[in-house]
Amino acid sequence: MKRLLVYIDEDAVEDSLELLEVGRLIYGDKGFCSYALAAGGRYGEAGNLFDHLFRVKNGPLPNYDTATIARCIEFLHRTYHFDAIVVPATHWGRMIAPRAAMRLRTGLVADVTGVGTDGDEVLMVRPAFSGRMLATIVCRGGGPVMMSVRPRGFTYTEPVFKSAEFTDVDVQDIKTPGVRLIERREKPVAQDIRESQVLISGGGGVIRDFHLLERLAEALNGMVAASRKVVDMGRAPRAIQVGQSGKIVSPRLYIAIGISGSSPHVAGIRNAEYLISVNSNRDAPICSISDIVVEGDGLAFVEGLLERIEASSNRTQGGQG
Amino acid sequence: MRILCLLKLVPDVDQLRYNRETNTLIRENVRLLLNPEDATAVATALGFKRDAPDSYIETVSMAPRGAMPHLEDLVRRGIDHATLISDRRHAGSDTWATSRVLARYLETRDFDCVFCGTHTLDGGTGQVPGQLAEALGLPLMVGITTLVELDSREGQAVVEVDGETALMQFSVALPAVLGFQYNPKRKLPYIRYEDMNRDVSDRITVLGNSELGMDESELGLKGSLTQVRRVEVDGLEAKEPVLLRVDQEGIDKVYRWLEQKGFLQR
Repeated sequence: MKRLLVYIDEDAVEDSLELLEVGRLIYGDKGFCSYALAAGGRYGEAGNLFDHLFRVKNGPLPNYDTATIARCIEFLHRTYHFDAIVVPATHWGRMIAPRAAMRLRTGLVADVTGVGTDGDEVLMVRPAFSGRMLATIVCRGGGPVMMSVRPRGFTYTEPVFKSAEFTDVDVQDIKTPGVRLIERREKPVAQDIRESQVLISGGGGVIRDFHLLERLAEALNGMVAASRKVVDMGRAPRAIQVGQSGKIVSPRLYIAIGISGSSPHVAGIRNAEYLISVNSNRDAPICSISDIVVEGDGLAFVEGLLERIEASSNRTQGGQG
Repeated sequence: MRILCLLKLVPDVDQLRYNRETNTLIRENVRLLLNPEDATAVATALGFKRDAPDSYIETVSMAPRGAMPHLEDLVRRGIDHATLISDRRHAGSDTWATSRVLARYLETRDFDCVFCGTHTLDGGTGQVPGQLAEALGLPLMVGITTLVELDSREGQAVVEVDGETALMQFSVALPAVLGFQYNPKRKLPYIRYEDMNRDVSDRITVLGNSELGMDESELGLKGSLTQVRRVEVDGLEAKEPVLLRVDQEGIDKVYRWLEQKGFLQR
């Protein structure tokens, strides 16, 4: 029986639980024993999904104490000899995984979006070169296989109900973390753009009146998204940034307005079913992968389409009256 | 304050092309760029030095010799020293092997703080800051948007961090590894006219493995713990788009298309 350890990020518990799917894809439904490390003390439904759940004695440990959490992972591995260690590629997971891999002297693959096997070997697939390439990577050496996994890259499709055995881990020789939280302000919880079927996404070409996009999003029952340029200029929050350094989205319809479509951006929208691009340059990279290209000014397009939608709904309402 | 800035030169990803017959990246004639987040880190360090002129900034890069013009340029922009670790035996190093080489060099240096970018444009793993911090036993923070304070006497840095769910301010004990987020407003300073052709060769050191003295088995592909099995272009199929213009006819066609596909709820 193989052994899989999943690190539960207390700020992304649900996304962490989905990582059980990675174990299922590699080892099969019944091929592995699952272990969860809930160092931060929050673990949601993990008690019903894992075989074993570790908490930290004298804990919980804050997720920014990445050095101690890495020691904790090392300590657990020395005791349980995992075959694979999977960490969500969240803000904190991306700091914890490299530290732990260095301690374990094992290879680490970042931002994995697909897994498979070739004989006994575990294959990990990740985007590289800003999403332009997909690299298939294997770990060498004595293991364990270690990876950070892109949040929402996997969905645990057929959960098996379990009753986890709880263990409190006593990690020795903990140093003071060297990192102290002074202040934390939660970001407003907005609806996640990854959950919207329709995205109206704006780039540099519509920056002078970005808010107009809100109206079109409302008319099409969708949400507004943005390119990196708009976010870097402070005109939109990072939470709605699409692309390799933002969010990977898979809406039914993506309307890219004033976005040229650099490869990092395109990497974020490859799963969109339909793509309409509106651009003053019909040779912009995004146009070659679009279903419909509308050449011209993005804001004029938004205004025109809004008028068309409103005119039509007025007619409809008139008819009913 | 002595700041070491890790600086990677990356290929301009939008210029990369792929040879489908040989299954390799065409790297010839591809421009090298300073990794944008690393450039933000250097610009932040230079901004700090402007207010604290007795600070010392050294950049550390692992790159081929072709990186030299970029490093000369940075010295002319105000950094004190550039170190280029360049050795053919490093080719193919993964983040583990890279971090170990960097750690070996950093162990020989006296510094208060390591600055770097959070991610790079090419590999984009973001693993080197963490692996290096662990190898050196240092505190780590990445995703930094603002350096609020850097105080060698107090032995702390105060930084603002944009995490996924919250904005946070941390105090980090020095020496530490600090990874910055890209900030287009934080630009490298211009080169003064009189410095354009200044000879800066005495401010650049080139090191190879003969100086660092690592075992050859620790370097390059041999020293890596991960191996790329294959690389595929994750190419989106080029489509034959319907071409329209922003005019009455174009908008009307888009409207009817949206209606037909069921995106317009009545």
